[in-house]
Amino acid sequence: MDFLYNLLPHLLNGISLGLLFALVALGFMLIVGVMEVLNLAHGSLFALGAYVALVFILPPGALPFEFLAPYYGLPLAWRFVVAIIVAPLVVGIAGMALELCLRRTYGKDPLYGLLLTFGAALVIEELIRVIWGSAEKPFPLPSGITGGLLIGDLIYSTYRFYASAFAIGVIALVWLFLERTPYGALIKAGAHDSEMVRALGVNLSRLRLIVFAFGTGLAAVAGVTMAPIWGVRPHVGVDAVVPAFIVIVLGGVGSFWGAVLAGLMIGIAVGLTGAYASDWSLISMYLLLIAVVTFRARGLLGKKSILER
Amino acid sequence: MRTAPGVIARLRGWITEPMLVAFAVFGSVPFWINQVGLYPYLGVEVLVFCIFALGFNVLFGHTGLPSFGHGAFFGIGAYAMGLTQFHLAPNLWLGLLAATLVAAAFGAAVACFISHRRGIYFALMTIAFSQLFFFIASKWTSVTGGEDGLINIRRLPADFGIVSFPLRTNPALYWFAFACFAVIVVLLWRLANSPFGRVLQAIKQNEERVAFLGYNVWLYKWLSFVLSCAVTGFAGGIFAMGQGGAFVQVMSLQWSGVVVLMVLIGGGLVSFWGPVIGTVIYFIARDLLGAYTETWLLWFGLMFMLMVMFKPEGAAGLWTELRRRTRAVRARIPAAGFRTGGPVGT
Amino acid sequence: MALLEAHRLHKRFGDRVVLETIDLAFEEGRLSGIIGPNGAGKTTCFHVLTGRYRPDGGRIMLDGRDITGLTPRAIARMGISRSFQLMNLFDDFSALENVALAVPERRRQGFHMLRDARQDSSVADKAAAVLARVGLAGKERELARNLSYGDRRALEICMALAAEPRILFLDEPTSGLGTEATARLADLVRRLKQEVTLVIIEHNMRFLFDLADTVAVIQWGQVIARGTPETLRADKWVKASNFGMLA
Repeated sequence: MDFLYNLLPHLLNGISLGLLFALVALGFMLIVGVMEVLNLAHGSLFALGAYVALVFILPPGALPFEFLAPYYGLPLAWRFVVAIIVAPLVVGIAGMALELCLRRTYGKDPLYGLLLTFGAALVIEELIRVIWGSAEKPFPLPSGITGGLLIGDLIYSTYRFYASAFAIGVIALVWLFLERTPYGALIKAGAHDSEMVRALGVNLSRLRLIVFAFGTGLAAVAGVTMAPIWGVRPHVGVDAVVPAFIVIVLGGVGSFWGAVLAGLMIGIAVGLTGAYASDWSLISMYLLLIAVVTFRARGLLGKKSILER
Repeated sequence: MRTAPGVIARLRGWITEPMLVAFAVFGSVPFWINQVGLYPYLGVEVLVFCIFALGFNVLFGHTGLPSFGHGAFFGIGAYAMGLTQFHLAPNLWLGLLAATLVAAAFGAAVACFISHRRGIYFALMTIAFSQLFFFIASKWTSVTGGEDGLINIRRLPADFGIVSFPLRTNPALYWFAFACFAVIVVLLWRLANSPFGRVLQAIKQNEERVAFLGYNVWLYKWLSFVLSCAVTGFAGGIFAMGQGGAFVQVMSLQWSGVVVLMVLIGGGLVSFWGPVIGTVIYFIARDLLGAYTETWLLWFGLMFMLMVMFKPEGAAGLWTELRRRTRAVRARIPAAGFRTGGPVGT
Repeated sequence: MALLEAHRLHKRFGDRVVLETIDLAFEEGRLSGIIGPNGAGKTTCFHVLTGRYRPDGGRIMLDGRDITGLTPRAIARMGISRSFQLMNLFDDFSALENVALAVPERRRQGFHMLRDARQDSSVADKAAAVLARVGLAGKERELARNLSYGDRRALEICMALAAEPRILFLDEPTSGLGTEATARLADLVRRLKQEVTLVIIEHNMRFLFDLADTVAVIQWGQVIARGTPETLRADKWVKASNFGMLA
């Protein structure tokens, strides 16, 4: 009993991590499903989300325009809310720009799409470095959601509760969007069978843009939410996107709950590893990826995925 | 009886005109590098990365397999060089041999996991293994020196028994690196035009068909990976001497990514010389452009993206097309406009 | 006993059964044809026989040896060679290099890293000879991607032929060809008949019935009729199926 008790905070950490992984994975999966493109830049956009959010939270060194000063005078909580709304929008636009670039590679050897998103990942990361520097940045939180909670005699970070609740909310919103809106239905159909969507004569260009914007926007939301937990570094994106890859490999494409559950499981695995060897917690994801790809390449559905091309 | 033309014909199979040009250019560098405001160590760096890029391209340009974590093997080679020096024997040849073989051994292990794949799965796995090795190198402080690196790696003399060349000065090291570069170029060119090289290029174009022709595709891909890592490790060994240490940063994904950028921009996908051209472009960007702006790598990356979108054949591809067009114009026949096939060179 | 026999082949994809029970026998030295409408399973049958798919049931015997489930590579090495309908050429290579890759001698030297492939006259001569046989003499140095459609088709067959197979499978060789090219292909096939056992899948019944010694008709995943072209022309099933024009 004692043993489980000691694991509890790590388990809870794992769950909060897992919910955020699920968010990243969902956005990633939707893009893969409809576009058949593996967006290697997804992680960098995750990181970009955190940095853009910082812009709306922290006053920059020298204010370019005086009229911005009153904005930064607002309470931190309000700025936080603005950040979490605006950052995904900005990143969504970046995502759409990426989709436009990718258009040149459709129909060619999939290697080119892969190389392009790879290049985009590097460019975005370098952009972050150029604008904000390589040093880790602190992410200020409104006082209402910082601090710790006492569970029994263990301290658990309050923010993680809020982050988890928020993530659940966003996942629910994504579900609503996919199930209840016409665009959502189209995206679901596309994820299941993109050939069919094409055959239906849907405006594929618009659909692609929207899916990219939506998917990358989700990554940004996760990036902002995760920033106080993981820290704001240019290189944080790579670690964020590995669970998304694992999710795709494990569950194939097109299963909403599959992505959520897999994301949770990976988060919990990382969290629990943190209990025993905190250094190894992130690298455990890479080991998991290697294991999963080695043994489970076809996904649970057994369908030949686009990854095999 | 070996006639003079016969000998020359056989020699042409080994050494080509572009090779002689490259050797002439690189061979002359120590004589003018200072005059143009640069420094000999830059030359060493360029050559080391040329070797790295050429090794990488065996996998990428010849066989069509995207490895986004090759920096790990470069780093492993550097560490092997240092560790041999400290724990086995301070011998240049032993160190380089260790760099090559140890990197190749790690490559062999990784290749066992991925040789049946290609495309995104292949790339993902190389990223995962690279991160794993990076992590181990950072944490295993007792062996690798951790984040600080393995320092005090000496430049041991190139001892041929009867004569020994000290490599302590940068120009001396440059000549050594140049000699290594020349040997690697000749050998890899031969590889590209060998039956083995042809099979690799075929695998790049159509793996399934190659299997249907009776070839053991898995083994060819495995060998391609191992060879690529061997050459990369070798470059890492020289680099360790140049830097005086082996540092974990070269094993990062950023570095691995930069090599991919270099090679594609140079035209590694279609030309044997692509990696060399790309390396030179990279260093021009870094040292000339970098003198004016901090954002040079950003521009380099953007150039990469534009290349992938509009001209994946890279600089070498552009050059070939230019020559074909001017030749056609001169001969007054319509330009055929096709690319060179495979990395066979121009 | 036939050179290649298939016993009760069964193949399904998920719940869809594509091959019910297929029994086939290909006699040495003959040209056997397989026809059937789209979706009947003849292409899958082809893929199973040449090792691309593993059958879920049944056996394939080559010269009495069980070769069921072997990899395409192993099957190729045993002397079964195939061409592809969706052409599978090496576009960046010249016609000669394409064919050279198929020559068994080249395959044996596959791991030589220091020998110059361009100066390998033995392999090159063999490749050039096969190119001449299919009517591509003079086009050795052309890049495969620059050849005309008809030439690419010929190159496709050439590659399969260069492997010096015991049995050669041709997958819809007339696909996309005009009348003149089809006639030339028919000539080529007639000449090949003397040298190698052939199995041809075709839609073009006139082409096939002119050349084949025996034909199997596959419909609904089964062989519904087999025999010489003459007997088949009279067969009620074939008539009822009403696919294609019989000459």
